[in-house]
Amino acid sequence: MRLIEDPKLDQFRAECRDWLQDNVPKGPRPAEGLALREYDLAWQRTQYDGGWAGVSWPEEFGGRGLSVLEQLIWHEEYARAGAPPSASMFVALSHAGPTIIVQGSDQQKRTYLPPILKGEENWCQGFSEPGAGSDLASLKTRGVVDGDHLVVTGTKIWTSYAEGANRQELLVRTNPDEPRHRGLTWIVCDMDLPGIDIRPITAMSGVTHFAQVFYDEVRIPLANVVGEINKGWNIAMTTLGFERGTGTIAHQIELANGVERLIEAARGTVDPLTNRSMIDDEAIAAKLAGLRAEVMALRSLTVASVSRGMREEVPGAEGNIPALYFGELTRRVNGAALEIFGSSALVRDGAHNWPLHYLESFKWAIGGGTSEIRRNVIGERVLQLPRGPRAI
Amino acid sequence: MIIDLHPTEDQQMIADSIGGMLADALPVSRLREESGHAGAIERSLWNDLAEMGLFGMGIAEEDGGAGYGLPEEIVAARELGRVLASPSVLAQMAAVHLSEDNVREALIAGKERAAFAARGLGGEVLLFDGAGADHVVLLSDTAVLASCEMFDWQSAVSMDETLTIHRSPHTDPTEDTRSPIADRISLLLSAALSGMAHGATALAVEYASQREQFGQPIGSFQAIKHQLADMRVRADAADSQTMVAAVAFGRGNNDRNEVAAARWLAGDAAISNAKAGIQVHGGMGFTAECDAHLFLKRAHTFASLGSSRRAEERRLLDQQ
Repeated sequence: MRLIEDPKLDQFRAECRDWLQDNVPKGPRPAEGLALREYDLAWQRTQYDGGWAGVSWPEEFGGRGLSVLEQLIWHEEYARAGAPPSASMFVALSHAGPTIIVQGSDQQKRTYLPPILKGEENWCQGFSEPGAGSDLASLKTRGVVDGDHLVVTGTKIWTSYAEGANRQELLVRTNPDEPRHRGLTWIVCDMDLPGIDIRPITAMSGVTHFAQVFYDEVRIPLANVVGEINKGWNIAMTTLGFERGTGTIAHQIELANGVERLIEAARGTVDPLTNRSMIDDEAIAAKLAGLRAEVMALRSLTVASVSRGMREEVPGAEGNIPALYFGELTRRVNGAALEIFGSSALVRDGAHNWPLHYLESFKWAIGGGTSEIRRNVIGERVLQLPRGPRAI
Repeated sequence: MIIDLHPTEDQQMIADSIGGMLADALPVSRLREESGHAGAIERSLWNDLAEMGLFGMGIAEEDGGAGYGLPEEIVAARELGRVLASPSVLAQMAAVHLSEDNVREALIAGKERAAFAARGLGGEVLLFDGAGADHVVLLSDTAVLASCEMFDWQSAVSMDETLTIHRSPHTDPTEDTRSPIADRISLLLSAALSGMAHGATALAVEYASQREQFGQPIGSFQAIKHQLADMRVRADAADSQTMVAAVAFGRGNNDRNEVAAARWLAGDAAISNAKAGIQVHGGMGFTAECDAHLFLKRAHTFASLGSSRRAEERRLLDQQ
């Protein structure tokens, strides 16, 4: 453990900060739908034009070719500047892009990476199915080889920002005779192909940003297969590993800001029970102090994760540790306002919109792997505990 | 500020050499026998520990130390916590930072000895494994070094039967304001507590991998596996925060806040993991012959040293 002291990194941080200060969009951001996609793509284009897209992506595909340290600094400054969450660009920037960089062919890198960085194309994910959630390897969407195409039939669910997305990272079963994870293929699906039907799903928060996607004999060129046919499981695990990388730093800093907002609000609110500031209440103070400590721990777990990331090409199972901590802590932070402020915290159009944050927070302990699945992975792949009973 | 938490070569060497020595000479199982209580084995190793450079690890070479810094002390303290070493070993590492030149030399060389004491209720002072100690590192919200002779010690019976407690009604008049040294000692305690949290996890993981019920190792059941995963996460959270606070210490960050967070998390991790470890061990966990309870008792002792959890919470809220 040591401080990395490098004037070049300080200089890089200053450049990030200056550019972001001048360029982060100030206007209101659409909440959902095609308008949000347009907004996110335009902001990506602005970053590309400014020379800030793909800080750690290879230079030949439009990135900066810098190390994970510069990427970390960029994400930190990005969040501090209050820049928009990656939202409809998330899968392209934090899932599909990094996966293709590691596992894709040169042709695939040339085809897919530059349009992402230039803000010309966004991606969505097609992994989960109605019958294959935590048990992802049981997925049933079929891919049948027909000449130089894969013909896909089935359905995917929880696909965020599917509407308007250009491409999809799609996981399908290409060999039904092989058991579970052995007969799967990771393929790039263009979302404008005939036979694709997108039906939006509204979340408990009222926000509609994901969908169920149906495929009826959709013909995808075999050239779109990343890695080998029937070898898609390892590619998918690479993808999910990247989901827990430095891209989560923005979420983490947003969570820290959430705790600061709670503390500010508690300071500025008179406790009807005592007529003093709510922060003077011992129980409330203890709760908020604990949350502040835990947010600092989350940052430190991420520092540990990034320190490992500097030394491994593909993220390991330890990435589940900050991810589990983040999901559980996010639920508690966003639930705290309702515990502390009572009925006034139920108003959605107040100064804070606590209910939206509260209701949305449930997804962080579910999406990308539930807390329970993450505990299984930590137990079996970090602590090397014996595997539990499951289908073969 | 960019921090790399991967151990440097020196830190890896310290972890390996001190960790290896402690695992051989001070296995947790030593505490099952009375001969291993009260820091007796630690005292018999005092010269070896001094020769390894443990006590002066964070002191500059020109002042007679090993010339390392706080991060290296943290590595050593974590190893001490993992084997439930007597608090007096860590007290010696703390005392060197509070002492004047000639005393410091004697402490680094192991010729004089220190022990931790905590301020209890009504001004009383409680001394841990203090038999034969020359100095007391008296911890409350502050940290001061005092002569052991200034107190009127009476022997008492400790919850942790593997260490001794002496109590004294004496109220030390030299109440200082909290100094950076108190924060530094607080981080050493956090590191030891993190080590305990990891040690309790390792013990429970080992048991759950071997103990069979319903025809399979209990660690294969999610009810157990998930508790063990949570133990690992708590230990890692405390450990990572302690390391970040140690690396950034004195570099213009808000040290008080970082240290308070480390201490708050590490105290929770050590006690919570010890409790969970007992539960994972089931009926055996409730017996005196199983080591799981030793982690609980030692965690409570270390967590009670220095500023209270409530004081840490105030510190966490007051500054930012």
